[in-house]
This record gives sequence, structure tokens and C-alpha cells, in this order.
Amino acid sequence: MIYTDGMENNVEVPMEVIYLVFIIVYGIFGALIVLTYIYNTAYIKNFTYKISEDHIIINHGVLTKIRATIPYSRIQNINIVNGVFDRMFKTFTVKIETAGSSAAAASAQRGHIRPEGYIPGLKDPHIIEKKIKEMMTKYSAVPSGLEDKIFKPEELAFDNFISYILSKMREGEKLKTSITELREKANLSAPQLAEKVGVPVQTINYLAEGRYNPSLALAYKIAEVLQCKIEDLFKLV
Amino acid sequence: MKFKKKIASRIRQFREEMDLPQLELAKLVGVSRQTIYYLERGSYNPSLTISFKISEILKKPIHEIFYQEPIIKDILEGKSLSELRVVAEVAGLNLEKLASLSEMDDEQLTKAFKEETITKIAIALGAEFEDLFENL
Repeated sequence: MIYTDGMENNVEVPMEVIYLVFIIVYGIFGALIVLTYIYNTAYIKNFTYKISEDHIIINHGVLTKIRATIPYSRIQNINIVNGVFDRMFKTFTVKIETAGSSAAAASAQRGHIRPEGYIPGLKDPHIIEKKIKEMMTKYSAVPSGLEDKIFKPEELAFDNFISYILSKMREGEKLKTSITELREKANLSAPQLAEKVGVPVQTINYLAEGRYNPSLALAYKIAEVLQCKIEDLFKLV
Repeated sequence: MKFKKKIASRIRQFREEMDLPQLELAKLVGVSRQTIYYLERGSYNPSLTISFKISEILKKPIHEIFYQEPIIKDILEGKSLSELRVVAEVAGLNLEKLASLSEMDDEQLTKAFKEETITKIAIALGAEFEDLFENL
């Protein structure tokens, strides 16, 4: 057996072949750059977004045109991203994440993991963030019909939990309360009252601020401790 | 010691006096008919705003429509005499003493019963102390 190293076995490559390989490689690179340029120009040209009354509409896509409609009620959070390229051009990207997974899953299948709402290249993202948040608070109200949903008596704990959340979300329908005055008249501090009633002190505070619609049983307990009528304690405005 | 109470209501009585069907009242209050049904049965603790609306429609103060009733009263009233005898026996009481529970207020309860007896009664009724009574 004869052992040889690579040097001795070197096959002579003609210069023309080397040139050809270089030309092909550069050609591919060049073509890629041109294609990317064309694609991105088209992308920018096609990209529009609109913040309408009840949803955000984002139009994008070059070959496949996509029109994404995001209702405000489904928006979970808004992220403002300032990546490396963003910083080079002093822009921001706003990512709107939604509760739905279908669009995210669909785009993940196609290779890019992007949230449903993706608005790149913004000079001042805070305007749009503020606008979206404004709309969100306007449209995240309790779905109609659910306010008085009844559960079986054995589900009362859950019912109480739901009514607690719903009543906290409910706006406008506020109760006027004189709980603080009556509490002071009875010479009780808020924590003392809370202990006697058997609720956390926050509940008393929320009640005093008129931010909580209590259950009748709770109202009765407080009225009992403060020795007054429910009508003296609360009034419907 | 205190009775654990639940909200009972006289909605049905007042509603019938006004000749107002369940569904009509529900519509006026803006709740489902089931809500009214559960309220009349006393198995639902309404929110204060709903209570106010009902009191407005029935033209009666809240404390006349809704009142607190010891849970144990409801349970005792739902039992037949023979069932009550068994309960009394298990709890080691005579029947009169057991029946007197449903007429008592919190003060009388503390005077008339020891905590152990109360616990025994609760167990005889298939419940626990905390389900029917409160400790101060």
C-alpha cells in the first residue's frame, strides 16, 4: 500500500471552470439581492393598516395577499420592538398579540412566527399604541347576555367569582355609598370593619370607592355590623 | 355562635300581589327568568344593583323583599317528621328541642345550645358545623 497525501494527488482545474463557478455564485447572490429588493419594495407598497371603529385591518403580502382583521376584544397585548435593523433606521415595530392562535399557527407553518398584527417601520409607535389601547378599553365590555348568567346553586362559589369580575368590569352603573361615614360613626377602622364582616380589607376599600357591586348577602352583613338599613348604606345612582 | 344565613325573598308574594308574571318581572329588571326563579326559591344571592332594581319595580324596600334566613331552618322545614325523629336521635336530643332551632335567633342559640350539640346536629343533618353555623 502506498500512502499519499492530498498534495501529490492534486488534479489540475482549468482556470475557466474556476471563473465559471465564481460567476455563477456571484450571479445567484446578485439575483437574490435584486429579488429581495423587488419583493420588499412590493411588500412595502402593499402594506397598509387601518385602525377602524371595532377592529384593526392589516393588508399585507406580495404573492399571497392577506387581509387580517383583528377585533379589539381579542387583543391581548401590544409589544413595541426596537430591533437591530429598527435602530439603524430609527423605527419601531409594533406587534399586536391576540388570543386567537389560528393565524399565528398558520404563519408558523409557513415558516415565520409572527403575531397576527405586525406593523413594522413606525417612526412613532406610541401614537398607534395609545389609539389601540383607547379602542380596547372601549370594546372590552362584558359580552351582552352574560351579566346575569345563572349557575346552579352548587356552583355559587364560581357564580360569586364571576359576578365579582363582572361587577368590577361593569361601568356606569355605580352605587353611591355612605359606608365610610357610617363606619366612622360606628368608630370602626376599615380593617376592623373588614374583620367583623369577614372579608378582605380591599373589599371594603373598593366598596367605599364605589368600584364594586356587592352581593346582597355581603351588603346585609355590613348593614348588620354597622346597624343600619341597606338603603342607608347604598343608593343606586 | 351564629346561624349561617342565606338570602330568602318574598318576590313571589309581592309579584303575585301586583299580578306580574315571572317573565315580565325578569324583563323589567333586565335579567333572565331563571334568575327570578332562583331568587324566589332563595337559592341565589343577587348583586346589590339587581336587588335595588327589583325593589324599585315591586315598590318595596329591600329589607321587606329580601331577608336573611338561617340555612338550617330551610333544611329542618324540608324534613318529614320521621326524618326529624332520626336526626334528633342521632344528635341525642328530643324532638322539641331540635324543632325549636328553627325559631331561634343568634342570641337564643348561644344560650340554648353548646357547640358540641350544634356540631352533632350538623353531622346528623349530613352537613358540617361551618355549613350551618358561624363561630364568632
